[in-house]
Amino acid sequence: MTTLHLFSRSPLLDADALDGLRWVRVGDAVLLTGGAVEALRPGSAAARQLAQLPAEATLHALEEDVQARRLQPERAVTLIDYPTFVDLSVSYAKVISWT
Amino acid sequence: MAKSTLVISRQPALGGPGPREALDIVLAGGAFELPLALLFAGPGVTQLLAADSAALEQKDLSANLSALPLFGVEAIYAEAAALQRLGILPEQLPAWVTPLAPDALAALIHDHDQVISI
Repeated sequence: MTTLHLFSRSPLLDADALDGLRWVRVGDAVLLTGGAVEALRPGSAAARQLAQLPAEATLHALEEDVQARRLQPERAVTLIDYPTFVDLSVSYAKVISWT
Repeated sequence: MAKSTLVISRQPALGGPGPREALDIVLAGGAFELPLALLFAGPGVTQLLAADSAALEQKDLSANLSALPLFGVEAIYAEAAALQRLGILPEQLPAWVTPLAPDALAALIHDHDQVISI
C-alpha cells in the first residue's frame, strides 16, 4: 500500500519536524509544503535528513513555498502547484500528514 | 469491513493537548469496535511513564492509557529506538505495550489503511 507523506512544519522551528521521513518506504512519495521546504536548503541539517530517503521514493515540493524562500534545491525534486497536490493526494492509497 | 487505523502519538507527556487528543480518538474508536492500533513514537513514548500529576496540577493520562485494553484496544506499540534514546528501560513500561524495532514499525505503518499522526 503506497503512501504519500506530507510534511508542513519547519525543521528550523521544530527539531522533530521531519521525523516521519524515517518511515518512508520504497514506492512512497514525499511532499514538502510550507516551512518544511527548508529541507531543500543545500547543506542544511534538514537536507542531510532528506538525503537519507530511499532513492526510489519520489520527492515533491510546493513550488510557491520553494520560490518564496528562493531555494535552489540540489537534489531531484518535482515542484508542484495546488491542483497537482490534490491529484497526488488521491493517487496514493493513503496520505499521512506528519503534523 | 471497517478500515484499519493506526494512531501515532508523538508528543511528549505534559507538553500540550496532543496526547489527550490521540487517546480520545483511540478510546472513541475502540468503543465502536473499530480496528485500531496505537503507536507511541519519538518523544511520545514518555506518555507511557506515570507522571507526578500533583506537581503540576495536570491530570495524568497514564491511568486512562491503562483502560485501553478494556476498550478492546490491544494493539499498543512503542518505538524501541525512541525508548533507547530517552533511556527508558522495557521494565518501566506497562505490560500491555510492545516495543517495536524500526523494520517492524515501518511494516506496521505500511499495513494500516489509515494513519493519523498527532
